[in-house]
Amino acid sequence: MKTFANANALDLRHAVTLAQQAHQDGRTASFAGGGSDLLALVKERMVTPDVLVNLKTIKGLNQVTSGKGGATIGGLITLDALGRHALVRRQWPLLAQAAESVATPQIRNVATLAGNVCQRPWCWYFRNGFPCLKNGGRTCFSVTGENRFHAIFGGGPSYIVHPSDVAPALVALDATFRIVGPAGERVLPAAEFFILPRQDAARENVLAHDEVLASVEVPAPRLGMRSTYHKVLDREAWTHAVVSAAVVLAIDNNVCHDARIVLGGVAPVPWRAHDAERVLVGQRMTPELAAKAGEVALAGARPLEKNAYKIPLTKSLVKRAVLALSALG
Amino acid sequence: MSQQRGGSSSAPIAPMKAIGHATPRIDAVERVTGQAIYTRDVQLPGMLYAQVLRSPHPHARIRTIDLSKARALPGVKAILTHENCQVVWGAGSISGGSQYNDQMKKITKHRRYAFNNPVRFVGDPVAAVAAVNRHIAEDAIQVITVDYEVLPFVLEPEDALKPGAPQIWSEGNVSPNNKNEIEPMTQRRGNIDEGFHQAAQVFEGRYTTAFCHNAQMEPRACVARWEGDTLTVYTPTGGISNCHHDIARDLGMPDEKVRVICQYMGGNFGNKNQNQDADLITAMLAKEAGAPVKLELSRKEDFIGMHGRWPTVQYYKVGVTRDGTVTAIQMRAYSGMGPYRKNSGGIAGIELYQCPNIESRIYPVYTNKTVSGNYRGPADPQGYYPIQSMMDDIAYKLGMDPIEFILKNMVRQPPNATFTNYTLDECIRRGAELFDWKKRWKPRPGSDPGPIKRGAGVAFMAFRSGVGMSSAVIQVDATRRYTLFVGVTDVGAGAKTTMDIIAADELGVAVSDVKVVWGDTDRCPYSVGESGSRTTIMTGRAVIEAARDLKRQIAAEGWPTGDAVLTASASPNPKTPGQVRNCFGANFVEVEVDVELGDVRVLKYLTVHESGRIINPLTATSQIKGGVGMGLGMALHEDMLYDRRTGRPLVTGYYFDRVPTHRDVPDIEVTFIETDDGYGPYGAKSIGESGMIQTPAAISNAIFNAIGRRMTDLPITRDKILGALA
Amino acid sequence: MSKKRKQEISRREFLEGTGAAVIVASAAPALAAQVPAASAAASESSTVPRTTVRVIVNGTPRQIEIEDRWTVAELLRDHLGLTGTKIGCDRGECGACTVLLDGKPAYACSNLAAWADGRTIDTVEGLARGGQLSPLQQAFVEHDAPQCGFCTSGQLMTATALLAGTPHPTPAQVRAALAGNLCRCANYNRIVEAVVAAGSTTGRATQAGGAQ
Ligand SMILES: Cc1cc2nc3c(=O)[nH]c(=O)nc-3n(C[C@H](O)[C@H](O)[C@H](O)COP(=O)(O)OP(=O)(O)OC[C@H]3O[C@@H](n4cnc5c(N)ncnc54)[C@H](O)[C@@H]3O)c2cc1C
Ligand code: SF4
Ligand code: FES
Ligand code: FES
Repeated sequence: MKTFANANALDLRHAVTLAQQAHQDGRTASFAGGGSDLLALVKERMVTPDVLVNLKTIKGLNQVTSGKGGATIGGLITLDALGRHALVRRQWPLLAQAAESVATPQIRNVATLAGNVCQRPWCWYFRNGFPCLKNGGRTCFSVTGENRFHAIFGGGPSYIVHPSDVAPALVALDATFRIVGPAGERVLPAAEFFILPRQDAARENVLAHDEVLASVEVPAPRLGMRSTYHKVLDREAWTHAVVSAAVVLAIDNNVCHDARIVLGGVAPVPWRAHDAERVLVGQRMTPELAAKAGEVALAGARPLEKNAYKIPLTKSLVKRAVLALSALG
Repeated sequence: MSQQRGGSSSAPIAPMKAIGHATPRIDAVERVTGQAIYTRDVQLPGMLYAQVLRSPHPHARIRTIDLSKARALPGVKAILTHENCQVVWGAGSISGGSQYNDQMKKITKHRRYAFNNPVRFVGDPVAAVAAVNRHIAEDAIQVITVDYEVLPFVLEPEDALKPGAPQIWSEGNVSPNNKNEIEPMTQRRGNIDEGFHQAAQVFEGRYTTAFCHNAQMEPRACVARWEGDTLTVYTPTGGISNCHHDIARDLGMPDEKVRVICQYMGGNFGNKNQNQDADLITAMLAKEAGAPVKLELSRKEDFIGMHGRWPTVQYYKVGVTRDGTVTAIQMRAYSGMGPYRKNSGGIAGIELYQCPNIESRIYPVYTNKTVSGNYRGPADPQGYYPIQSMMDDIAYKLGMDPIEFILKNMVRQPPNATFTNYTLDECIRRGAELFDWKKRWKPRPGSDPGPIKRGAGVAFMAFRSGVGMSSAVIQVDATRRYTLFVGVTDVGAGAKTTMDIIAADELGVAVSDVKVVWGDTDRCPYSVGESGSRTTIMTGRAVIEAARDLKRQIAAEGWPTGDAVLTASASPNPKTPGQVRNCFGANFVEVEVDVELGDVRVLKYLTVHESGRIINPLTATSQIKGGVGMGLGMALHEDMLYDRRTGRPLVTGYYFDRVPTHRDVPDIEVTFIETDDGYGPYGAKSIGESGMIQTPAAISNAIFNAIGRRMTDLPITRDKILGALA
Repeated sequence: MSKKRKQEISRREFLEGTGAAVIVASAAPALAAQVPAASAAASESSTVPRTTVRVIVNGTPRQIEIEDRWTVAELLRDHLGLTGTKIGCDRGECGACTVLLDGKPAYACSNLAAWADGRTIDTVEGLARGGQLSPLQQAFVEHDAPQCGFCTSGQLMTATALLAGTPHPTPAQVRAALAGNLCRCANYNRIVEAVVAAGSTTGRATQAGGAQ
């Protein structure tokens, strides 16, 4: 590995200051949560920080604090703790399911919520150091190359799919993200945190170099709300979602009152299927309706040469996720 | 595991004292306490660390290499490139791919050096650095600048044979045979035209299999040290004797000046019964630097710089009569060898059928991918899968149960010879019964209602178990303690323990009374090396002969006294004239396919094997289970994909390779039918490759039974399943 | 069957040379704190940021000066002589390097030594106590859980943590807990058998005062 200095952050402000200082000295800095993604990139010299700002030394950012309108989840909570948290499991089961579906126990024991949401793409061109848009180059190799795992929505000029399992769940929950930077704090709806390559092909989210994702706020569940995270993997564990569906439904008397359907593995951002949600709202839940939601969710998908299979796959997954929720009494 | 001794058609075998009883490995404690020393664990005083700079291009001529910045880094002690190191890696490229043949290595035209110019695949070593620590070595290769003239490249064997394809060698892209002629590997029996003439129907098929990496858990490493003109090399090799001789030859040294040590190694799976370029590079760096050097390849380097199973494209034409008798098999195939011929490129499978008329032509083709090499059943799983899929398909088309079709057409006698014994029908019948084939198999494929469909598949094997030369030495001292010297390393299959058990049984003592010395060419006699599933057969036989000799010596001379020892050695070279020695087996699989999601789950996996006498049922069963698990990865996941435009590899580690995890591998039920054909040690036959070679065929056939679609390309991934059903 | 050939095979050093002096990093269970040669070499690059950390390794508190860029795996293997922890990928893709950080399984290759400051690290070398294999190690021996053994340390560490929280796991629980430990020898059945068996003996062993 290239040499770097580890700097333990005492609090959020200190973390931001450490990064800022480095930048002012003409050095580069990276924030490290669990480091499970960052270190791999540093070892490959795809990121070459002079300073690694260690966020894990910040106290109290690994808690779930429940309040009036919901809960605040610290960005430094490990995925393992998130998946096991009793309140999370009870109120937002899809979030716990998404966290539990990530990688392996060893990774979940150190990987953080914020780090998971901010992890870099897992496109094999990017990870193998091809000089593509995400690596500071000017082309995307996947468009005409091996694109079995790439985007069918929202692609161009990069065709990554957003890798995080937790992100679609947070978007489906209408979570908000609290960001701390040199100018102070800003709060954004989860959906606005992620950006498409056409906005900035080098990045996956709105964070500036010296901004930290501090916590996420999850609103309290509405009456009759139920949720699920369905993930398709290419082996039984230790891979990202080929596709996934984060579904939140409010159902009363077998009638759907509210719906969020957010797809993973299909687009460079967690992909909200608005039209499919509209198909459900106000309707009695039936297998036919669930199938229709799946159909509508995939309308307008634009597959590349090798990923058309994702269309029937995701349709079926949405159908099953919706059906699974309507089956929950 | 269940075990049976003897069976309906095979004579019962006589029970023995240590042999045939489950015996934990004699080195298991070292393996569970972290005390086992693997190559990477070796630390020598003053040792330097090495790093290799590898070509980023699939084909390029090196114009210049600028080492000035790297040389200037404090702590850098030696740098090698093609300019100052012209060592030829003999085992890296051999006409015909025939290993262990110095003569062939000498006349090979398409030579592979430790550092090549031009470079011919992404991962080809360009330079190597030794420095005082691993980080400085890594920094140093970052600042080496290489000026490449990029050349056209070709990745797929069929493309490489098209007119106008880039020529990787001036003789063209078909690799020469062991007579240095540009000829495909050809096999003929009977009269193929006549065979098709007799047929009522002729079926054709095209199948492909992927480039799969051995991916053993320990990435390649080496530690080399010179003391004067004597070289010691620590390296993960399954064949210390062959590796030793290869290193001496390649470095132009007498054998006595080289010592190879491998106490433990983290998996073999082929291609480690010779030396590696890493060994030569480390040795030369150590010489140049005047200090011991350790080279540890990264996982990525191991994937792109070492070897995987050759990818293939295979075309079949099969003729059958109305009653389902196969009368003709014609095959044309292409094996992608990478730019050097390291191994044969062969494709097995046709020999599994009794068919009188066959014709096969296999082209070993040069490409600009990583070099292919032997991998657990070198020619087998990638050949078994297509032909057993073809035959399975034909059975359905003729309205026959695939088992009925196999029993009708499988090999019963090898050409112009007999088998030393034959149990294939017993393996199949027994397996079908244990598996409850009639219940699990669907006469109408894809007939399960609903999106989740089950199906059953079968595949079988007949695999070499030949006898041959190996050596062993046994010593006894005045305290009546025995020491067995064998040149095995124990790649994971349990060879040391097997040898110990054989010696103990023959000497009439307990396993713990025999100490085993292994894995060091200065201390151990020749051993054939752990490849080709033959260590138990060949070295095991030598152990028996040495033990018998020792007993004779004791009887004649009495026990040694004082400091004296009695030493017995044996290097038997048995033969089976006029006979072919095979092991046999059959696998039965039940899968569940989710036709909406494209998921394939293996629900039940049952194998019946006849591998002669089982020396240690504990480790033998583990071998079969492990082979099946690996075969499952080959069937469903593993594929070293390349980018077509750049010729660069995309699958460079376990994550993208989707190697099976704990959750992917089901319980594998193993049954042995034990026999003793009078050869090998008490009738023991090969096991190491048996588990893997028919797995992809069996799984693919089960998928067909579940969904009614024939999957013709490995691996059978979700996109292919959903594509076939679309 | 065949007659023994009285062929003299290399009788040279294999009789007398019992292995020249090879210094291998042995799994010193006593954890004698020696400063290995590699550290001295590393200090040649004086500009490299260094930090002193306190860690408890297999029960022994240690204070060590590290380079900030060292991973836990590198610290253990290159600088503490604890080579039982293996590196199969160095990227969080294989599990061979699994150690326990504060009792929880983690990839030693994917954590910086600097981040382990103030924490406990348990490695395979610490599993056996007083020369006695742990019941889990014993089960690994009896059930043939290691083939090549390269993944074994990692499997043992993850399974040790599992058994600490779930003393009698089902096979399905073992598979889920060990999903982050590849075994390329694919000896999965054996490993699961061993962990389940250790689970069923643990209770007994404890009752019997730890005897096994
Ligand atoms: C083999 C493998 C398989 C995997 N499979 C999955 C999977 O199935 N599903 C899945 O979701 N993920 C998967 N991952 C990714 C893994 O989940 C991530 O590595 C992990 O979640 C990242 O968390 P971390 O805390 O370790 O992040 P880090 O590695 O610390 O950081 C990741 C990135 O986010 C930045 N960052 C971290 N924290 C903050 C913060 N608070 N504010 C701003 N920026 C920050 C870092 O600078 C870095 O760029 C896999 C990883 C591996 C190696
Ligand atoms: S999809 Fe994105 S990350 Fe992948 S090659 Fe294209 S630009 Fe690079
Ligand atoms: S070496 Fe750490 S996970 Fe492979
Ligand atoms: S025992 Fe070889 S990798 Fe697991």
